[in-house]
Amino acid sequence: MANLSSFINSDVSRRRFLAGVGASAGAVGALNLFGCGDNGSPMTSPTGPTSPSGPTDEDILNFALNLEYLEAQFYLYAATGSGLETSDTTAGSASPYQTTGTVTVGDAALVSGLTSAQQQILNEIAFEEQAHVRFLRSALGSAAVPMPDIDLSFFGPLAVAANITTAATGDGSFNPFSSFDYFLVGAFIFEDVGVTAYAGAAPLISAAGVASGYLTAAAGIMAVEAYHAGYVRTSLTGRAIAAGSASAYPYLAAANLVEDLRATLTVGASAAPSTSGSVETLLTLPANLTTASSIVAASAADAVGFARTVNQVLHIVYGSPTVGAKSGGFFPNGMNSIFATTTA
Amino acid sequence: MANQETQVLDDIIATNRRKMMTLGVSSLAALALGASAPLAEAATASYSDSDILNFALNLEYLEANFYYLATFGTTIDKPNAASTAAGAPQITLSGTVGTAGTVSGGSQVPFSTIQVASYATETAVEEGKHVQLLLTALGTSAVAQPAINLGTSFPALATAAKIPGGSGFSPYASDAAFLVGAYVFEDVGVTAYHGAASLLTTPANLVTAAGILAVEAYHAGLVRTTINYLDPTGATIGGYTNLISALRATLSQAGLLGAQPSAYDSNPDDFGLATFSVMLGGAGSATATRITDADATNVIAFARNTTQILNIVTGGGAVSGKAAVSPAMGVFFPAGMNAGPNGFR
Repeated sequence: MANLSSFINSDVSRRRFLAGVGASAGAVGALNLFGCGDNGSPMTSPTGPTSPSGPTDEDILNFALNLEYLEAQFYLYAATGSGLETSDTTAGSASPYQTTGTVTVGDAALVSGLTSAQQQILNEIAFEEQAHVRFLRSALGSAAVPMPDIDLSFFGPLAVAANITTAATGDGSFNPFSSFDYFLVGAFIFEDVGVTAYAGAAPLISAAGVASGYLTAAAGIMAVEAYHAGYVRTSLTGRAIAAGSASAYPYLAAANLVEDLRATLTVGASAAPSTSGSVETLLTLPANLTTASSIVAASAADAVGFARTVNQVLHIVYGSPTVGAKSGGFFPNGMNSIFATTTA
Repeated sequence: MANQETQVLDDIIATNRRKMMTLGVSSLAALALGASAPLAEAATASYSDSDILNFALNLEYLEANFYYLATFGTTIDKPNAASTAAGAPQITLSGTVGTAGTVSGGSQVPFSTIQVASYATETAVEEGKHVQLLLTALGTSAVAQPAINLGTSFPALATAAKIPGGSGFSPYASDAAFLVGAYVFEDVGVTAYHGAASLLTTPANLVTAAGILAVEAYHAGLVRTTINYLDPTGATIGGYTNLISALRATLSQAGLLGAQPSAYDSNPDDFGLATFSVMLGGAGSATATRITDADATNVIAFARNTTQILNIVTGGGAVSGKAAVSPAMGVFFPAGMNAGPNGFR
């Protein structure tokens, strides 16, 4: 833990921070209460405003936009059988990326067998991810990147990689559009990752970006991703409890296999879920009235949510541990981003 | 990029940042930060990171004691067999700043379902860890646990919210009642940490606050999902969420003291579980649940400043007309929060 004896009133340190005197907040000895990285994840580098040659706030928001395009397409297909409107996917006039991508639909379709209550929840999440796409595009203006090619048929290969076998077929196929429970596992692939992605990106926003409200927006979108993750994890847990046993509800185990795969792809923090250093928390099936659930994905030590670096997120959505990967997984031709290549 | 979104400042940081701008940082001044209506009171401009985390600590004392009492039948500083078995941190009340108070009210809920019982247990453990984290980080700067009312505060709020039978409401009576009690807190925790995020000055503190913000939102998602599942038509506890949110939104708006809300705000800044109508892609309109508590345009979670949060948790004790009342007292904090020399308002 930081030694508080060097505490300096943060008003002073903030002025210096913004005036660029001592680019790193640490350089002026500002109060640093949480310097130890207690959340168990690799801390994003605690530097001050980005250097002129580093990523801009637009780069960061555009990275998030690529991910939101993917989520929005998944949820809109699941809720309606069709995706984003074309007008929500095109390039801003000043973007170096000018080609709008297409969606490989695969099995994507309106999820089968939904009750009206379940349909309404899918409607909500689809609407909210669509809203995030529109917000980021609006904030980025002419700098907004277009949607890259997206492959919604990647769920199949992902399930193979994760060793998921379906309850019904046992053949390793996995279609998140075939039932509400399979949809939950499909949604599960994204939501914890979305939380960790925004958590990791937030500190990268420049001081000017903070003043413009980008940090507030990013933190607010992260919170919404956590509401979604809370919904998915609560639903998986609650339905498992109602079913009575893990064998009676194999979707919980399937979600945990997804976590195992994500953990191995989180280069630099690849410890198995729920072990020291991991950025994943396994779902559990509480057996009685005194056992805790594990809805929240957070560090065991202090219940702080996890963060991932851009590189770690990229490995997951590309479905590849390869360094130097430029595409793969849900992005068959890569992201439209300066971060499109895995670097570690 | 001077479009509308980038020009409007978050009201929580706006006044403080304006002061920073005038110190002559030309590159920032060139951003053409558009002037908007009168901004929220500059009270928050004087908060240090330590102050902000102490504000959070007051709220965590409140939440953690609620969950410990409801789950284990004991307060955070008095471990019992149940709390120990669950792995809930045993808190040494080491904070010294301000006036130490006692916790009144609260009792163990006679849980009947594994779902609700397990959620309560998990949340209690996590909130206990948050208290411990903040106490350890703040060290000798940590505020003492203030007087906390977890008894009569609930029927008082339920009555103000016009919940049927509100004067007799106890969140400790049943699984359903407990969920309503939890609902009172969780979205508030989200808005408090969200409001704090932009005020923190060191990246490490921001990373941790963002991590706690995420956990509060997981909790809120958990509670809202469960209430929605148990009462999808809103006949009982689902309907109560709308009443509680309406009350919180009213108290929160009063906490703006007449200033304009931020770009990411809306009036109300709090929604219950009533469904609403959305437009989806090219598929047209649809009915949506409201698991997520956020605005209907950008779907960004709300953020509140300290006055707004105080006004909610004190049941209106933080505001008198268009002026902040400090120290704010009432409802959950009958003697007010504990604060450092800057105070809270």
